[in-house]
Amino acid sequence: MGVECRYELAQAAYVKLALHALKHPAAAVNGLLVGRLADPAASPAVVSVADAVPLSHQPHHLPLLPTLELALTLVEDHFQAQGLAVVGYYHANARRDDADLPAVAKRVGDHIFRYFPRAAVLLVAGQREARGGGEGEQSRCRCSAIHQGFIKKLASGWIRWK
Amino acid sequence: MHAEWTLYEQVAVAAMDCQRLDVAKDCIGVLSRQFPGSARVGRLEALLFEAKGDWAEAERAYALILETNPFDQIVHKRKIAIAKAQGDMSLAVDYLNKYLELFMADHDAWRELAEIYVSLQMYKQAAFCYEELILAQPTIPLYHLAYAEVLYTLGGLENLQTAKKYYASTIQLTGGKNTRALFGVCLCSAAISQLTKGRNKEEESSELQSLAAEALMKDYKRRAPSMEALVAGMLKNMKLS
Repeated sequence: MGVECRYELAQAAYVKLALHALKHPAAAVNGLLVGRLADPAASPAVVSVADAVPLSHQPHHLPLLPTLELALTLVEDHFQAQGLAVVGYYHANARRDDADLPAVAKRVGDHIFRYFPRAAVLLVAGQREARGGGEGEQSRCRCSAIHQGFIKKLASGWIRWK
Repeated sequence: MHAEWTLYEQVAVAAMDCQRLDVAKDCIGVLSRQFPGSARVGRLEALLFEAKGDWAEAERAYALILETNPFDQIVHKRKIAIAKAQGDMSLAVDYLNKYLELFMADHDAWRELAEIYVSLQMYKQAAFCYEELILAQPTIPLYHLAYAEVLYTLGGLENLQTAKKYYASTIQLTGGKNTRALFGVCLCSAAISQLTKGRNKEEESSELQSLAAEALMKDYKRRAPSMEALVAGMLKNMKLS
């Protein structure tokens, strides 16, 4: 039983978060995804992510509460005027081969989920550099979406999707 | 003239940072011919193994150096770095604690440990590290700020009140210029009043909160007037809550 929901990522949003991750190759980065429910009547619903707001790249600020709370409040207020809300969170791990969603990302995701039930968490993962060229790094995005609360036995967790 | 060798060392490390391992190898070769049997060159060779991702060889090389120089700080730190690079955070914490038993005054190590604890969400342990740092260097605002943030994250009335004090000391140490600390004071006040709603606690520092808010507004007016309204709105909400 999964979420019947499609997510659209605007190019501006994707570029921002990819650049954010690439700018700090040795650190974990995170940020918020801002968007709207494109057409509430449609089924499957479509969440359209219009923009990304980078948050931090410092390992000792990332999982701490005060700046996160501030950011959520300010971002919500700022984008409200454009009819957008916080719909998700993106995270990139510091190590290239670390493809797990860290606990802190899950907690932020849970928090956002309380306000926006179709929240998604985007984990930006890098691929191994090609040998012999060492050219750049490709980002492969893996989206983890929240498991719909219909499954009563399991606590709702973040499952890998697509 | 002797600076030439230091340069080789620096270029070697820089090359490793850029994954130009061929350049690094060449530099290290020159150095090892000039200084055969040197521990310093030995460290570079081990570092090259690290850069290749050859952890086992690197660890072996470092162990060899430690046999003759058991108090080589840099080698100890490389061991910690290897654990971190392999994602073995509990091992990194373990090594780091052992390192700090030997080198208690290494402030950077305390900071590194605090950061790792925070990343593992072990906030109490992180707080302990920051306490050590504040004891050792009480005039560095960075430690006060970090301590306050960890306390805030831990939550609970007592921690919030202490956090507020450390945000305040940060403000004092930075002459009121640290935006984060100013925000922190407001956040703490709001959170504390949330927790003590209904209870009649003395309002000893409501002045602190309004002063901080005022300082924030002035700062935004001067540096980021486009955001001023946004911040003003948020501050107003906090005072009500």
